[in-house]
Amino acid sequence: MNSYSPSSTLKSRFTRRFLRALMKINSGQQTASPRDVHRRYRRVRIAADKSLALAVGSRRSWSRALLCKIRTQKRRHRRRCASTRRISSTTSTQREKCLGLKGKSRELQKLVPGSEGMDLCSLLDETAHYIKCLATQVQAMRCIAHSCNSP
Amino acid sequence: MAMNRALLPEMLQCTDMTVLDRQRARFKWQQDHNFQQQVQENFFGELGGVFSVPNPVQGFQNGFDPVLLKPDPEMENGWPNFVGFGPCGYGNGPGFDVNYGISRTASCPPTVAAAAAAAEAAVENRELALPEKITSLAAKESSKKRKLDKLQNTKIVVGEDDPKEKRIKGSEEDGESKKTEQNTNNNKTSSSNSNNTTTKNKNKNKKENSADTSKENSKVSDVQKPDYIHVRARRGQATDSHSLAERVRREKISERMKYLQDLVPGCNKITGKAGMLDEIINYVQSLQRQVEFLSMKLTAVNPRLDFNNIDNLFAKEEFPANTANNNISTIGMSSDMNNPASFLQFYPVQQQLISSTGIEMSMINPTDMGLRRTISAPVSLPETFINSSCFTATPTWDADLHNLYNNVTFDQGRSFTSQPFTGPIEASNLKMEI
Repeated sequence: MNSYSPSSTLKSRFTRRFLRALMKINSGQQTASPRDVHRRYRRVRIAADKSLALAVGSRRSWSRALLCKIRTQKRRHRRRCASTRRISSTTSTQREKCLGLKGKSRELQKLVPGSEGMDLCSLLDETAHYIKCLATQVQAMRCIAHSCNSP
Repeated sequence: MAMNRALLPEMLQCTDMTVLDRQRARFKWQQDHNFQQQVQENFFGELGGVFSVPNPVQGFQNGFDPVLLKPDPEMENGWPNFVGFGPCGYGNGPGFDVNYGISRTASCPPTVAAAAAAAEAAVENRELALPEKITSLAAKESSKKRKLDKLQNTKIVVGEDDPKEKRIKGSEEDGESKKTEQNTNNNKTSSSNSNNTTTKNKNKNKKENSADTSKENSKVSDVQKPDYIHVRARRGQATDSHSLAERVRREKISERMKYLQDLVPGCNKITGKAGMLDEIINYVQSLQRQVEFLSMKLTAVNPRLDFNNIDNLFAKEEFPANTANNNISTIGMSSDMNNPASFLQFYPVQQQLISSTGIEMSMINPTDMGLRRTISAPVSLPETFINSSCFTATPTWDADLHNLYNNVTFDQGRSFTSQPFTGPIEASNLKMEI
């Protein structure tokens, strides 16, 4: 297949960056206030996305778009509290069934960053790589969480 | 008529040849070469009675002497492979896909000129019959596929060192790859190629070019410079460039869909792009939710890991709670993250931690297929709210997950007090610090 397969080095690159960021975020005192917790949570999530995008590099459209989004989010956040990424499906399962191929591919375009204006062929290509990297990210984060839970 | 194989080595020595003789020799080489690959049977069956000259071909059935195919340095100019061919012109590798119908690749023998040259000096009597047969064959062939003439690219094969292997590889590639061909590009390249060769071989090549494009439907794969993509028109299908390009595009899409089917778990039974796209969308959403959930978990963690421990991390990749986590964490997502301090403690590993500190948090017991919430008196826990609309449990996921989803009932209006976090966070700090 022509899509790049993320090898273990992607995982190690991501883990290294992410751990560094995580330690930086959690190094301060762990305040109990919900706002602080939420802010920390958001920082952790952004760090996860950023580490993944940087580990992948700029060879893929979605990683470039992700980095760009993070940078613009940072700027916007300085001025006011910007809304974070939401995982709300815009269409329920029923509506997904009614939508045609084009509607579904548009739906997929919203999910995969940086895939606007792509034809179906390259969209599928991008999606495949994105899925692989996401799976690697989830696996790595789970490992971290597990190792932190049970030392 | 059958060419005597023993004569061929002698023929190789001769360099004087006419165009037609070269063609004949090439044709013979083609037949022989293709017989080795055992492709002929398919075409004999397909073409039916078109090919009317089985005899000369059979003479080569014993296999071609590979010695004869050594590259002839004299012929480095390259020859257009205009061998008139019947069914034997389909010199593809073992991976040839018969579904493509009659292919048009003819692999050019490296010493085609040498063989052709040799053929000239040889028995011209016997060879007189061949060109007629070739033309008749070609006529019958071309009558069926005249439209495809435009799409055929007659590329000049540049003879170089060890070209034989390259050509065989090239023909195999041609047979196996699915590519598109564009008319204008083809014509331009073929004309430019022919121009190149005419500067070297002048008259002969020109004649061969014209003869070829008008009569014969051969195609040579130029391994060194694949400027364009070859496509085979299937039998009975439209052969104009638009539909060909469309077909290639569709094949690319289906190829990628198959690849995605391997990536996304549980898609083996789903056929059709719509269902696959649904599954892909769901899977991407679930992965993104998992990332959010895990980052939420890691917010409370203080990772005092050295980078030496990264190896330990990777060693624990296959830890057994993985599958359970997968089931549970996928529903641990809230769509409304703006609520301050949403903390979902669904992680089963944390149960031990939590219970050890005397705090009972809401937990999922997968065996119970239900969600229990117990809040101890001193600590009231924040709760996350699952927006059920954002949770799309598909039948391809585990049954546990599905049942859990059905049993989950959350009320979304719960407010959250400022007190609760000290308890769990301190506890987690106690236990999670390394």
